[in-house]
Amino acid sequence: MMCAVSFQASGQTSELTLQEVLEKYNDVSPFVIIKSDITRRSFVYTDRALQALDKDKHQYQQRVLIGSNGDEHAAVPVSLLLRDGTSIIAMPSPGARNPYVVDRIDGKLYITDQGRVVEEVEYWYKPHYYDQFTSSGKPMWQVASARPQRLDIDPNSHCHFWSGGNGCKFCNINANSTRSHKERNMEKQLKAQDVYETVKEALKQPGAFTNLKMSSGSILSGQEIFDDEVDMYIEMLQAAGDNFKERKFPSTLVASAFNERQLAKIYENTGLMTYTSDIEIPNEALFAWICKGKHKEVGYREWKRRIIAAVDIFGAGNVSSGIVGGCEMAKPHGIKDEDEALKIVLEEAEDFASQGVSMVHCVWVPMQGSAFHNQVTPSLEYYVQLAKGLSGIRQKYRLNIDMDNYRKCGNHPDTDLDRGIGGATFQCH
Amino acid sequence: MPLISGRIQTLLQDPQATKVLATADKLGSPHIILDSTITSNEQGQIIYLELIETSQTNVNLVNSIWFKRKVAIQLSGTGEVYLIKGYPVYSIISGPLFEHYYKLCAARNPEFDLSTVWVIEPDEVSEDTYEARKSKERAEHPLVMHLDRLAK
Ligand code: SF4
Repeated sequence: MMCAVSFQASGQTSELTLQEVLEKYNDVSPFVIIKSDITRRSFVYTDRALQALDKDKHQYQQRVLIGSNGDEHAAVPVSLLLRDGTSIIAMPSPGARNPYVVDRIDGKLYITDQGRVVEEVEYWYKPHYYDQFTSSGKPMWQVASARPQRLDIDPNSHCHFWSGGNGCKFCNINANSTRSHKERNMEKQLKAQDVYETVKEALKQPGAFTNLKMSSGSILSGQEIFDDEVDMYIEMLQAAGDNFKERKFPSTLVASAFNERQLAKIYENTGLMTYTSDIEIPNEALFAWICKGKHKEVGYREWKRRIIAAVDIFGAGNVSSGIVGGCEMAKPHGIKDEDEALKIVLEEAEDFASQGVSMVHCVWVPMQGSAFHNQVTPSLEYYVQLAKGLSGIRQKYRLNIDMDNYRKCGNHPDTDLDRGIGGATFQCH
Repeated sequence: MPLISGRIQTLLQDPQATKVLATADKLGSPHIILDSTITSNEQGQIIYLELIETSQTNVNLVNSIWFKRKVAIQLSGTGEVYLIKGYPVYSIISGPLFEHYYKLCAARNPEFDLSTVWVIEPDEVSEDTYEARKSKERAEHPLVMHLDRLAK
């Protein structure tokens, strides 16, 4: 394993620059490397770039669970797309130490670093349904948000794990939804009829979406933990599903770790085809510290066991688990050495893969409103090795990641890489 | 002067012309497809509409845009053949341009579910008929031929 941090003659450590990483990893897509670094370091817009935002054409506000829903008074593009179709899932973050700069040069938009052009970018387009209203008067963009090829419906933007300070330390879900509710009257819970009408409208746009994703904060209530969350998803998936002529349609649920009974109930009663439950930090001790609520209520081993059990219901290749890449190095209890952190993460990813579950990573962003907002992420080189490692494990176990690929989600540098090999083929039932 | 103009531009707009796209994978293994729908845009770039997300051509084009590797298009009509080599510069999967081509594909055949609009920037263009290739060879390598060709 190569060390991600080099020592200078002075004895000080210094990370490789973007250029050095691009040269060192010249077998890795430069778009994936650039995306990872933009997410990691964040970015700002010049006034010229902001003037290129066309409110009729581009997205400038979006309902998201984690991150920020935007500010209607200061219209800022929702995010960026690279030339090869790679999505960047990031927003300018006010506290960023060394951000990239999006600028407009000769009529085109570029991401720049210290005045040097890095790559051309494009703002995300606004789907046709965005400015319409449901029959109850809800703006449709507040019911379903849109990534470049994905329809996102997050019916509940409040997480019960936050009670008593047990929310995951990298997450800002309740801070974000509380702010949006207060400042913009955005409802935390969606209604099934609004979901039905919004999906109906979204499907009228030719070629706009390849997947429907649902996710929410965890709901712990019910006869058994998560029973109410399961019932909510069934209601919402049925409402969305009423718009499709076939019972099953390309769809993903990113949810709590449901037990076999709950998983079967969702699978049998809805059009859902794939399932994700995020293990977040693939190490028991760190999970217990960072995802305290999940560990207290379910526990790392049981959370993991349930994800693997989902393969029997959804089929291999149709279950994945997300990690917040780099969060395993959070201070003070995280792993200090990048090589060691990588080894631990990849070993656990391999254990998941050997049982039919893909592990995918996003780039950890220490967000405002999260307990970790002051933390520093690992080096860019760490992220390149992580993406290569996770993609390589999938190849080894012949797991395809169509359910969470570059266009279905766009938040995983490792699944972006699978696009270059066409994905492994694993037949699922 | 754009590399693609005149006869080549006309041939690229002609659905009767024969158009072949050659790509290579990460290890250099070649692959070709015949696709009469290859065309060009107003900037003189070539447009290839990929209908199958995980096709070998699509994977090869992804590697070409990532690692700046050329692809080739052979274009032929009655009595004329051209070879165009260039770099894939955009892989468009969403937005208004994608929607435009998505509708175009659906109009051609309702079964077509467009995956990607590829934009290829031409870098070299040459005539590729036997006559053109032979006269180039004669001009550049006058020593390379059989003597009986020159016998009285
Ligand atoms: S379970 Fe953790 S990551 Fe998920 S919404 Fe709740 S606090 Fe956030």
